[in-house]
Amino acid sequence: MTTLTLADEIVVLMLDDAIGEITPGCMNVAGVAIAGGILMELALRENIDTDLKSLFVVNPKSTGDALLDDFLEEITSETERHPSAWWIDRLSTRHTDLVERILARLVSAGILREEERRFLWVFSRRAYPQVSGREEREAKARLMSVLFNDEVPNPRDTLLLGLANSTGVLSAILSNEEQDRCAARIEEVVALEEIGRSVGLVANQVRDAMTMMLAPYH
Amino acid sequence: MEITSRIDGDLVHLNVAGSIDASTSPDVEQAVHAALGGGRRRLIFDMRQVDYISSAGLRALLVAAKKAKAAGGGVAVFGAQADVQEVFSISGFGKIVPIAASDAEAREKLGA
Repeated sequence: MTTLTLADEIVVLMLDDAIGEITPGCMNVAGVAIAGGILMELALRENIDTDLKSLFVVNPKSTGDALLDDFLEEITSETERHPSAWWIDRLSTRHTDLVERILARLVSAGILREEERRFLWVFSRRAYPQVSGREEREAKARLMSVLFNDEVPNPRDTLLLGLANSTGVLSAILSNEEQDRCAARIEEVVALEEIGRSVGLVANQVRDAMTMMLAPYH
Repeated sequence: MEITSRIDGDLVHLNVAGSIDASTSPDVEQAVHAALGGGRRRLIFDMRQVDYISSAGLRALLVAAKKAKAAGGGVAVFGAQADVQEVFSISGFGKIVPIAASDAEAREKLGA
């Protein structure tokens, strides 16, 4: 069984299986979520750590995962310390490359398949439908368990909830009634992890910037 | 970082001194694992000598709380210095783990 990183999982959750692409509502923040997911994974593997002021390397040794290692090398080579939000903002600018690399590894792992689809009979595009959908179901089940259980959440699920909340994935999974019922629990769990809070902050900044950019057209 | 423990029935006092971060959190996990053996299920972290806690350190305390709760007990902390208290406040840690001002209050919060 392939063990997915948090970055892999948030991409699976952001995919709209009908169109085989990132859900349009998540598109603007997909880079933020993937960058955040990679940093979270490095934190869980104890390669990096964070505090209220900065993100720093504690173990520069290779993780054996090319995408994680690219981020780790870049953070290691930076001479100054910066806050998590600074790194998320900087690394998320490679949005297209990050999405493509994650999609490619999910195809290699047999979780997605790559298809060529046509639209308007002429243009072709690549689509990435899920093979079984098991990984998405499992990730959603873990999120539901955190929300509807009073247990102390484990760190991985806490971080995944932060990603799902900041991308809008969570509000798409939950009914309006469930969202109202879980609002306090979501806030409580998301606040626990510094990188989760930073992902939410940067995602909101991206949304605000998009809103301002599009304001003249409304 | 140094951890000393004192067993009091099913309650274990963990007195931590120094920084709790990625390099020392495995020591916390090890101390918690040892403390929760033999039917002991309640932990009190004496934080008076902890001068720094990172995200990895906070995670270690949350994992301790999860384990203690699974054993039918719980975790409380007391005596946090200002910088550590700030981390607890911003993360809402106190909503998950009771934060007390003194050892006696921590015991009370755990029903000990």
